[in-house]
Amino acid sequence: MKLISSYIKEMKIAARGFYFYIETSFAVILLLVLLLAVNENPVSRQKEYLSSDLPAQFTQAMIDTGISEGTARWADDTEFVLKPNSFEVTNKQTDEIIKYDFDEEQTVMVSTLENLDPKTKELASTAYFFDAEEDLIRVLYDQKYVGAVLGLTNTGELSYKYYLQGFETERMVDLLSVLNLGSLDELEEASKAIEVRSLGSFTNLNNRQNLIPVFLTFTGSLMGFFIVMAYIFLDKDEGVIKAFAVTPSSVWKYLLSKTMIIMTTVVFSSTIIMIPIMGAQPNYLLFYPFLLITTFTFAALGLLSASFFDSISKSFGLMYGLMIVLMMPAFSYFIPSFDPLWLRFFPTYPILQGYKEILVSNGDTGYVLMYTGIFLAAGIIIFLLANFRFKKTLTV
Amino acid sequence: MISVKNLSYSYNKDDNLAVNNISFEVAKGETFGFLGPSGAGKSTTQNILTGLLKLQQGEVTVGGFDLKKVHNERFNKIGVSFEESNVYGKLIAKENLKFYAKLFDVPTRDPDELIALVGLEGKEKVRAGEFSKGMKHRLTFARSMLNNPELWFLDEPTTGLDPAIAATIKDIIRDRAAKGTTSFLTTHNMYIADELCDRVAFIIDGEIHLIDTPKNLKIKYGKKLIDIEYVKENKAVKETLKTVDEQDKKRIGEIVANYDIQTMHSKEATLEEIFIEVTGRGLV
Repeated sequence: MKLISSYIKEMKIAARGFYFYIETSFAVILLLVLLLAVNENPVSRQKEYLSSDLPAQFTQAMIDTGISEGTARWADDTEFVLKPNSFEVTNKQTDEIIKYDFDEEQTVMVSTLENLDPKTKELASTAYFFDAEEDLIRVLYDQKYVGAVLGLTNTGELSYKYYLQGFETERMVDLLSVLNLGSLDELEEASKAIEVRSLGSFTNLNNRQNLIPVFLTFTGSLMGFFIVMAYIFLDKDEGVIKAFAVTPSSVWKYLLSKTMIIMTTVVFSSTIIMIPIMGAQPNYLLFYPFLLITTFTFAALGLLSASFFDSISKSFGLMYGLMIVLMMPAFSYFIPSFDPLWLRFFPTYPILQGYKEILVSNGDTGYVLMYTGIFLAAGIIIFLLANFRFKKTLTV
Repeated sequence: MISVKNLSYSYNKDDNLAVNNISFEVAKGETFGFLGPSGAGKSTTQNILTGLLKLQQGEVTVGGFDLKKVHNERFNKIGVSFEESNVYGKLIAKENLKFYAKLFDVPTRDPDELIALVGLEGKEKVRAGEFSKGMKHRLTFARSMLNNPELWFLDEPTTGLDPAIAATIKDIIRDRAAKGTTSFLTTHNMYIADELCDRVAFIIDGEIHLIDTPKNLKIKYGKKLIDIEYVKENKAVKETLKTVDEQDKKRIGEIVANYDIQTMHSKEATLEEIFIEVTGRGLV
C-alpha cells in the first residue's frame, strides 16, 4: 500500500514536471525522424561516365537489350559545360604522357541512360555517353570523376580504358584491372554463382527498423539512468527525502517507486517508437520484459550513483562519463567491423543485440531470455546496494 | 520518553566533535527545550534522535526504542517539524499531507483539519511550490502532526513566521502538551523556550552547560533588575541596575536623589540574559 501510494505520488509529480515530457517528446521526435528522414530501403545511386569506341550497332544492341529487359531507359540528354583547362594524362602501362590544352568553354549535350534495379525497378545508376573521348576527359578532370571508354580488342572482345584521377589506391586500380578480364557473359555467370549468406540475423530489418535498438537503448536504459538521478536530486533539493526518512515506510519502497515511475515512462516512450515502426512483427512478450528489466537495472544504477552525491551539479562528471561510455557499443552496432572483445563487456552491448534479436522475425529467443535473467539478477544486486547506501546517506 | 547517555558525534569521525558526551532525559508529557546558538549541536542532537544521523557513540532510547537497532515502526509515534520547510512543491497542500498520511501504520488526522489548524484554510488545492516561505513552514508543521505523535520534535517552530501565526503555532504546541504529547524543541529563541518549555538545556560547542526549569534558572541566576531613564546635563541617560546588588542599590539612590527621573521599570532577567551569564556567549 505504501509502495502504491509512493508510486501514485511519483506519477503526479512526474506528470507535473518536465522530465516526463522531455522523454515523451524525445520519443515523438525520434519517431518523426525515423518516419520522415530515414528511408526504409535507401538506394545508392551511381553515376557512370562513359565514351564508346564500339561500333554503333554494337552499342545500340547492348542498350536495346537493357531496355527490352526493363533494366534501362533513356532519359533526356544532359548538358555538360566543358571549361577551359590544361592538364596531362599519363598512361600507367606505357608511362606515355599526353598533354591537353583547352582554351575555350564548350557546352555539350550527352545521351543519358538510366539503369534500373532489376528487382525494385528503382533508379540504380545513371550512365552518360560522351560522343568524344576528349569531352569525357575534360568533364572527368573538372569534376574529379572516374570514367571509362568502351572498345573492342583485336580479337573482338570488349575492352575498357579507365581514366582515373591519380589518387586512387592501388587496391582499387587492381580491382578495375581484374574486373573486366573476362567477358560480360562470364562475369554475369560468375555473379550468379556467388552464394551470399548473412552472418547477422538482422537482415530482414530495413534501414529504419535497424535504428530502433539504438533508440530504445538510449530512451530506455540511458535516459532511465539519467532521469532517476534527476528525480533523486530534486527530492534532495526540496528536502522531502528527510521527511520520508522520519516515516515508518522503508527506504526500498521509496527507491522502488522511483524506478517504477521510470519504467512506466520508458514503456510509454518506447511504445511510441515501436508500434508505428515495427507493427506486429516483434515478439512483444519478449520485448516488454526485456525493456522493463534493463530499464530497472539502469535505474538502479542511477540510484546507486545518486547516493554518492548531494546535488546534480556534483554528479555531472560521473553522469556524462558513464553515458558516453555506455553509448560506445553503438559504434559496433553501426560498424560491425569494429567489434573488439572488450566492448562486449559493456552492459549496453547485449541490450542492443537483445533488442535486435527481438525485432527480427527469427531472432535468438534464448539470447534475449538469458540476458533478461542476467540483467534481472544484476538489477536486484545494484538495487540492494543502492538501498544500503541510501539507508546510510538518506539525508546527505 | 527520551534517554540520552554519553552521546558524542563527529561528522568526520575524528576528534572534532559536534556533540560531546551529552546526557539528559525527557519525561513523558514534558516539553523540553534545547537551547543554543547556531552551530552549538542542537540540530545534530535532534537528527540523531530522529534517526537522520546514525548513532556513533553513546546510548540513546527514543520512545522506548534503542537507536542502536533499526525500528522503523518507532516513527508511528514520532512527529518531526523541520526548520527548513520540506514539502513537494508540485503537489497541492492536501496531496502533500495525504501522501505522508498513507506512510503511517496508525490512524492519522484529517489533512483538511490540519491545514485549517495552521491557518491555511482555502489553500488546500494550491500547489506547495506557490506557497510563501511561511506557508510552507506551516504545512511542514501540520505534516508533523499527521500521526498524532506521542513524541514531537520541533526545530525552530516559529522561525520566519509573523507574530500572529507564531502565536497560533505556540497555542497548538501548548494544546498538545496539555494533552500529554512529549515535545523536544530546539531553538535559539529564548522567549519561545521561556513560554513553552517545562525544562531547558543550554548547549554550546556540543556540550550541555546546564539543564533546569526556566523558573529555577531565573531564581538561581536571574536578578531583579530596574531600568532607569533620567536626565543628566540635558541628555537622556538609561541604566539597568540589579536590586540585589549593594552597589547598584546605592546607585539607584544616587540617581533618584540627584537627577530628574523620566521612567523607571522593574523587570526579571530573561532566559537569554541567563544564558549569556551561564555560558559567557550570546545566542546568535
